[in-house]
Amino acid sequence: MQRFRSVCLALVSACLAIATPRAARPQYGGTLRVEMAATLSSVDPAASATDPAEAAARARLLPLVFETLTRVDEEGIRPALAVSWESLAGGRRWRIRMRNGVTLHDGSSLEPWQAATALRAVEPRWRIDTDGDMLIVELPEPADLPWALADVNHAVVVRATGGALLGTGPFRVERLDASTLSLRAHDGYRLGRAFADSVRVQLNRSPTAQLGDLEAGRADLIGIQPTDARRVTDRGMRVFASRPLELVAIVFEPHRSGDAHARLRRTLANAIDRRTLCDVLLQKHAAPAVTIVPPWLSGRPAQTAAGDRPELSRQDVLALPPEQRELALRVDPADRLALLIAERVAVDAREAGLSLAVQTPTGLAPRPDARLVRVRLPATTPERSLVRALAALGRRVADAISPPGGLDGTTESVYRAEAALADSRIVVPVVHLEDLYAAGEHASSWSSPPVRATGEWDLADVWLKGERP
Amino acid sequence: MSLRVRLLLLVCSVVAITVGLVTWTVSLSARSAFEAFDRQRASVLMAQIRREVARQGEEVTRRVDRLVGADSFQRIALDIGRRAGDYAPFIGEAAALASAQSLDFLDLVAEDGTVISSAEWPARFGYRHPWAANRSAHEIADAFLQPVELPRDTALGLMTVRRVGAGGRALYVVGGRRLDENFLKSLALPAGMRALLYRNVEPEISKQQLVDSAGTVAQSAQLEPLIARVRQSGRESVETIDWPDGPELIDAIPLTGPGGNVLGVLLLGSSGRELASLLAQIRWRGLGFGAAGLALGVALSFVAASRVTRPVERLAAAAGDVAAGRWETRVDDIVATGEVAALARAFETMTRQLVDQRERLVQAERVAAWRELARRLAHELKNPLFPLQLTLDNLRRARALQPAEFDEVFDESLTTLTTGLRNLNTVIGRFSEFAKMPVPELQRIEPNAIVENAVALFRAQLEAPDRPPIRVSVDLDRSVPPILADAEQLGRVVQNLLLNAIDAMPQGGELLIRTKHDERLFRLAVSDTGVGLTDEERKRLFTPYYTTKQHGTGLGLAIVQAVVADHHGKVWVDSSPGRGTTFHIELPEDGA
Repeated sequence: MQRFRSVCLALVSACLAIATPRAARPQYGGTLRVEMAATLSSVDPAASATDPAEAAARARLLPLVFETLTRVDEEGIRPALAVSWESLAGGRRWRIRMRNGVTLHDGSSLEPWQAATALRAVEPRWRIDTDGDMLIVELPEPADLPWALADVNHAVVVRATGGALLGTGPFRVERLDASTLSLRAHDGYRLGRAFADSVRVQLNRSPTAQLGDLEAGRADLIGIQPTDARRVTDRGMRVFASRPLELVAIVFEPHRSGDAHARLRRTLANAIDRRTLCDVLLQKHAAPAVTIVPPWLSGRPAQTAAGDRPELSRQDVLALPPEQRELALRVDPADRLALLIAERVAVDAREAGLSLAVQTPTGLAPRPDARLVRVRLPATTPERSLVRALAALGRRVADAISPPGGLDGTTESVYRAEAALADSRIVVPVVHLEDLYAAGEHASSWSSPPVRATGEWDLADVWLKGERP
Repeated sequence: MSLRVRLLLLVCSVVAITVGLVTWTVSLSARSAFEAFDRQRASVLMAQIRREVARQGEEVTRRVDRLVGADSFQRIALDIGRRAGDYAPFIGEAAALASAQSLDFLDLVAEDGTVISSAEWPARFGYRHPWAANRSAHEIADAFLQPVELPRDTALGLMTVRRVGAGGRALYVVGGRRLDENFLKSLALPAGMRALLYRNVEPEISKQQLVDSAGTVAQSAQLEPLIARVRQSGRESVETIDWPDGPELIDAIPLTGPGGNVLGVLLLGSSGRELASLLAQIRWRGLGFGAAGLALGVALSFVAASRVTRPVERLAAAAGDVAAGRWETRVDDIVATGEVAALARAFETMTRQLVDQRERLVQAERVAAWRELARRLAHELKNPLFPLQLTLDNLRRARALQPAEFDEVFDESLTTLTTGLRNLNTVIGRFSEFAKMPVPELQRIEPNAIVENAVALFRAQLEAPDRPPIRVSVDLDRSVPPILADAEQLGRVVQNLLLNAIDAMPQGGELLIRTKHDERLFRLAVSDTGVGLTDEERKRLFTPYYTTKQHGTGLGLAIVQAVVADHHGKVWVDSSPGRGTTFHIELPEDGA
């Protein structure tokens, strides 16, 4: 009986093994179809982006082609084309050991001098020399070089004769036009060839069109809004999210930034029910924001960084002059998610006694009192992330934190800067948004999700199941 | 005003008054008929609109019932019940459900009144639904009107509320449709009528809340008092609004919510433009008919007047001619009938008789004049001839005398004969002079100077000590301008009048000479205080050779009349026996 049972179990196991679809195992081949809303004018890492959306697209797409010496993941800074580094002279001089055996897209080996040439092209103030497989970098002032080297503009790009740009990433550029970026798998990639033979990135595609293409099976990976997450999951598709990497904040205009309007700004900041906004409207794909740099990057305790909704002071509202209670909040009319957030903020403000009108001008419009802005934050050190955010928010906001005590590279200086900003209320952080992507049923990943916590894409690990409709 | 004109005016007035009366009566009748028709039509349409509102409400209820009865919704309701407060996954449900049922408003409300999902205002989730605040009043089966808050404004909706079981809890579905210009578009209104809706969702009257089927109404200010009245009273009201293109009768009915509060005002406008157009048409046609009638009246009256008034005018002209001395005027060519023909015949007879009488009178006058002339001639010639006859008789007798005596007698007789013949020549010369009155030589003269010279000539005679005193008064108007006249002839006239006055006062008296200038006429008056004239004397005063004096020729005043006539002037006399005589002369300044 025991033997019979063993035989039966063996037969059932064999049947199950046969019945298991072959697609459950990774396979090579096919074209991964990706869609995004941004445009891309160049794949040269040294080139500048024309707008924040293109900068975000470059940060996702260029690492697929060009590797950097270091990279950032959830745990911190990690080696990439470099295998190790050491700091000398208090951070002004760095010795970086290059990885051996790295192959460029043309099949040749990457030499340290080629990496040095690439860095010199974007950082002319750096003095860069090579010593065998070592790069010696001398900086004008001390800096945390490995974090800087993880930026995509510091990617190693080799300019071949004829103008071709060669990298060491899992894909090489096959074609770029106004609407499409075509990538081909790099057979000599140091971590193994990508599963997909090619990647076709359709650019300048509206979110609605992307969603339609995904549901119709015409796309394998798209960017989605938090409000679409439930719809996607209801249809059996998967959603991938990064850690919160985008700040949504209200920035008051100069005529509302003075001390006379401080109570108004504080009242509005306190009136916003960020938790409900994140949980309901943004479907839990956002985090309440009371600071510019999200807690996961700054390391600030979550309870102090993003506490629950504070008690509203009705007296504060009643104390405001009637004309101050009326606010116009301008929103980019093309940004549907920002409009939804603004309308929710307007509801919260209304409950607090304020009258907040959402302004979505397509032409000339009255001067607004505040703007709802979205700022992408790089996954890097808190200081670098804050500096990037302040650069995007404008000089008026940056001036609010200095003096006293500018950023000195320490986490404490970041905290002080955030506290100064919170005190001024010129910028009222609302939420931190995750980068959200949806993958179709044919796309699958082997060992890691296609989108990492830092927002970086790992398309080399994505493979395509079976035949497509 | 001539008879023809009066006839014309009479006919025109009659036609105009008649047409005006007819037009006014027709206009009044048309206005009454239109207004009655409008009232009837408006009340029918009001009933229709009320039915349409009710039908829309039933449609809303039917859609909400269909929604809550669907299996898919039941699953959602159960899912919401199981979630027990975590409503995040359902935030988008209301929009999808509303779209499927073509509802403008749809809210999913939890048992505690919290908004789970709102189609019209997705951002309102988590807050208490306005309906929940007054749930007992609104929890009714039939559709009701309710203001619906939206992100940027407040709409007016026909709403229905349904309660659905959700896993042991209650889920409320608040659905509705917007009452706006689309509702107005769905109304089938006859031409000339329009419907407007005022959504009473703001504390004060706002023109943005007044819409017609095309959207916001541009001219709303004149409607606001009517809307305010209905808002305040909650009762229907009617008012006529005068627009630039015509009046409009507006019926306003309140649209109330479950609590009886006025949530909207439906305005049904019945344009008076059609009536105004009809009245204008009637008016213009009246004017047209009036004009045609007037033209016809003018033509007819012209013809009639021609038949009646032309003979009368001809008779009037003929009478004028006769009065002007054209006695030969005849009216026997007048074509007329009846009284006018009789009048023409009578006129013809009368003129003939007048001509006959005049000819007889002229003949009689002529005979009388000849007789008078003969008498005067006889008288004038008889006096000088009598001495001649005696002289000739003396000569005949003297033939028997001695030559010396005969010579003496002969010389005396010759002297007497010569004197007598001279006297005869003098008489004949006077008559010849009167017959040969020269044509006046007109030139600018000072008439006052002529008068003064004439008075100066007689001054010595008047002041002679051997005659009774005559006091002379000269009253000359110094404003008399120079006149066009013959100075010599005018001087003779004045002299004759002065001489005549002096002769009229043999016992003395008072002589008054006055001049005056008036209406481009020179006036001269010479008055005496003599014995005056009888009527007979006055009538014959200017007849040549007529005189009341013993040694007058009777030509003085005749010459006066002849000179005045040659100067286109006028002379007349005022006198009565015992009260003196005044001669008046008028001469035109310019001699014509």
